[in-house]
Amino acid sequence: MRGAASSIYRSPRRSWRRARGELLAFALYFFCAVMLILSRIGHGALDDMRERFVDLTVPVLEAASIPVIEARHLMLRARSYAELFGEIDRLKAENEQLKQWEWSAKLLERKNADLRALLNAVDEPALHFVSGSVIADARGPFLRSALINLGRDSGVRVGYAVINGDGLVGRTVDAGTSVARVLLLNDLNSRIPVLVGPAGVRAMASGDNSAELRLDFLPDGATLYGGDEVYTSGSDGVLPRGLRVGTVTGTQGDFRVRPHAELSSLDVVSVLFFDTPALATTDPLGPPEGPLSAMPASAATATPPQAAPPASSSNPVGTAAKQAGAEEGSAGDDGQTQAQR
Amino acid sequence: MSTIFPALSVLFAVLATAVRWGLPADATFILPLIVVTMVFCWRIIPDAVLPLSVCMLLGLLTDVMSGGPLGFFALMTLIAGSVGGRLRSLIAPHELRILWLVWVVLAASLGLFGWLLASLYFFRWIDWWPILFGTLASIALFPVVLRGLGWIRQGSIGPAHSAMFRSWS
Repeated sequence: MRGAASSIYRSPRRSWRRARGELLAFALYFFCAVMLILSRIGHGALDDMRERFVDLTVPVLEAASIPVIEARHLMLRARSYAELFGEIDRLKAENEQLKQWEWSAKLLERKNADLRALLNAVDEPALHFVSGSVIADARGPFLRSALINLGRDSGVRVGYAVINGDGLVGRTVDAGTSVARVLLLNDLNSRIPVLVGPAGVRAMASGDNSAELRLDFLPDGATLYGGDEVYTSGSDGVLPRGLRVGTVTGTQGDFRVRPHAELSSLDVVSVLFFDTPALATTDPLGPPEGPLSAMPASAATATPPQAAPPASSSNPVGTAAKQAGAEEGSAGDDGQTQAQR
Repeated sequence: MSTIFPALSVLFAVLATAVRWGLPADATFILPLIVVTMVFCWRIIPDAVLPLSVCMLLGLLTDVMSGGPLGFFALMTLIAGSVGGRLRSLIAPHELRILWLVWVVLAASLGLFGWLLASLYFFRWIDWWPILFGTLASIALFPVVLRGLGWIRQGSIGPAHSAMFRSWS
């Protein structure tokens, strides 16, 4: 009797608890749906909150990355020891080849300088950069991005090109105080206007989350060959012209681009300070004071990058300078070098 | 047992998703799905407390850390948490095979739902292979995750946990 009475008294309370739980679950599902919609339409407040939060987590991520990075370095070192003799032979052969290239480059440089002098050509603006490390991987099933330990404090703005020793890596899409998010070339949302091959065929290199990029908007009848170089055209007004992107692979009708940079294992990258009026659309905070492509004052006093770039990602200046086919930049002590384009 | 241990263990996994493991592009869905697996496991482990709101917050944190669409993994963890919570009273904790079978169905459904949702979000068909690969990996790793979480909870669910794996062997 007492049990029946207690069950009568208990059941409304239990059903209320259940109803409350159901209501909470519904509210949570609704909240998720709202977040997805706001995220889709690119609500500014959400982006700001995310940037601030990621800024806060930087020390934790850096600390968490240390053992993994050390382990990877150890593995790489062990592998390189194992392949030491083969590597020496390969480097010797490469050195011989490079000596020949050096000779040709000097010859071309001299010829180029003579021709420029004849034409009274105006020098292109200098391109500055700052180098930093990738601190976190943010590569989900529909996202290819990386967090780097350079932010607005280092002069980084949204829309800047990011390179490493091998070529273009991506561009910055978020910039916090001390951290920035780099959208990698192969991300679904990445679109880079490019020039292909010696003829400079215009196209769009689009990421689709796979290792290679698609070549869209190729003109009808464009003739491309496997191995053709792909480099930025600069026609978007955001990225500098002439940055190496990759090489053409695939066949007629399904041309793809294999990026030079190994996007799945980035270590040290450089952000190019290339300020153009078009950046006003990508970066709401506006351009820094000073001339276009000038190194921001904050970056001039920034701390030098801690990690020495590995062999695979050695001096990105060389790459930037090489793309533009101009004279070598003067290396500064703080790792920020002026690359003549 | 309070919410702290389950929440902390999942938080640790969320942070691990952002660490640079150097995984190939095809394997990028594995770590976030491990977070979802952990949420499911915590919700079915007897006496473990991981409220739905915390499940959703951990999923949201995964979204923030990954830079992906906000709410995507929050929704995934919420679904996994809801299903896990409902199954707790229906399936005996020592029925590992049944739990695994449930996870196979749930993971496959979540993978399909995630692929459709992501395709809808980006207005294009997303590459399905990484999602399938991640789903298969999460299915394969389910007993390991369950055992790991059981180990964390050893103090309070030791006998139940032992029974779970005795029945398996």
